[in-house]
Amino acid sequence: MWTQVLFTSVWGGLMALERRAFLQAMVSRPLVAATVTGLIGNDIQAGLFVGLVFELLHLGGASLGGAHADHDTLPAVAAAAMAASMGEASGSDATPAIWALSILVCAPFGRAGRLLENRLDLRARKYFGRALTAAGHGNMRAVARQNLRALWPQFVFYGLICGAAAAVGPEVGALESLLPLPLMRGLAWAYPAMGVAAAAVAVEGSHAPRRLRIALVAGACTAGVMYATQVLR
Amino acid sequence: MKLPLATLLRIAVRTLFIQAGFSPEAMQTLGLLYALEPAWPHLYAQPEQRTEVMRRHLTPFNTHPYAAAAIVGGILHYELRLANGEGTADEVTHFKQTLMGPLAALGDGFFWLSLRPATGAVGVALVPILGVWAPLVFLVTYNLVHLATRTWLFITGYRHGSAVVAKLSELKVPMWSNRLRGLAAAAAGAMGVWLSLRFGALGGTGPWLGVGCLALGVGAVVAMERKVPPLFLLYGAAVLATVAGAIW
Repeated sequence: MWTQVLFTSVWGGLMALERRAFLQAMVSRPLVAATVTGLIGNDIQAGLFVGLVFELLHLGGASLGGAHADHDTLPAVAAAAMAASMGEASGSDATPAIWALSILVCAPFGRAGRLLENRLDLRARKYFGRALTAAGHGNMRAVARQNLRALWPQFVFYGLICGAAAAVGPEVGALESLLPLPLMRGLAWAYPAMGVAAAAVAVEGSHAPRRLRIALVAGACTAGVMYATQVLR
Repeated sequence: MKLPLATLLRIAVRTLFIQAGFSPEAMQTLGLLYALEPAWPHLYAQPEQRTEVMRRHLTPFNTHPYAAAAIVGGILHYELRLANGEGTADEVTHFKQTLMGPLAALGDGFFWLSLRPATGAVGVALVPILGVWAPLVFLVTYNLVHLATRTWLFITGYRHGSAVVAKLSELKVPMWSNRLRGLAAAAAGAMGVWLSLRFGALGGTGPWLGVGCLALGVGAVVAMERKVPPLFLLYGAAVLATVAGAIW
């Protein structure tokens, strides 16, 4: 288990860097980052279905100028790690009830991640101050290097949070196993309900003109196709 | 005078770190200086000249991280002219200051608010068909556009300077943005229905859970139009479903 916690920490830290500081090739989007987190935790399905909800929830979020949106990667990786480790502790793959519980626990990490991002931005001021000092001495290399110094705090802080989510998964799983059966059934129902709510957030986040009409038509077509394939079977 | 290909490649790779040292006041200035650093020894022989040019670029800089490739390429274009005795330092500063705002708006509108939501929503909508391979399709699709655009912007900025704006206007970005946003809305709507019906069959509830989820989806869309916070909707949906499941 501790190997998975370690790998999850490293992965979570790398994803925080990819999201903001390096490349931004969308490896850190919830759908991708959570799926890989599930793979690390030996439950790729849990990662995929947890990541799917967070992808929809944060679909329209964007950091514009210096204003940050809620962190999308942190809750997705943390929830996927928690779901996978809860499933492993229970001796099988995670269930929709476990996915739902981990999403409920980790969803506020989006807001927390944004606050942390703002704090780290403020901290990065000192690197600019050092760059100005180095420029005063004509030290070009030192000026350029300050850019990379700001990477490590992001890697460490976000990595620690993701690792902690993986580490506490079995404890949350133990609590979950104490829940009465009707409540467990309710949690299993909560997964599609949260998915649908996240899809509604995504429709709004698409910023498309006539988005409601488009979503309604696409939804009706999907329902028709699903019904037709069921009948044909 | 020209910059060696290896140096241009180093600079292009370094533009990928443009936001690493972001801070509220300096924004991407450290990233810009980091990206440009390999060029200076080729352009300016004297250490005093290099110090001078570096100080010239120590002013707040902020744009879309992908569009920064065009500005870095353009800065090299004008710095080369300056080093060859053809231009002025003001020309470089003017190019940078004039373009960073419009390119930021263009990049935010296309990449952050159109392409990413569209490819993300389509990636999610492919989960029922492709399963765990859907994220890979999302990554490949997004990055075909992303990496090609970054490369094109860097090369065009380096070759043509401010003419990159005219080249960009030929791409009809706003039209593509609108189409991509529509695609994102369609994929999200389809996924909402799939989640309702696929997981609605859980636990022998007949059609009721699915119907309930669909009704919840319609209510959530209306609530979003009225600016209800997304997290409130997420937890509200969870509470409703958990209570319904518990008393079923």
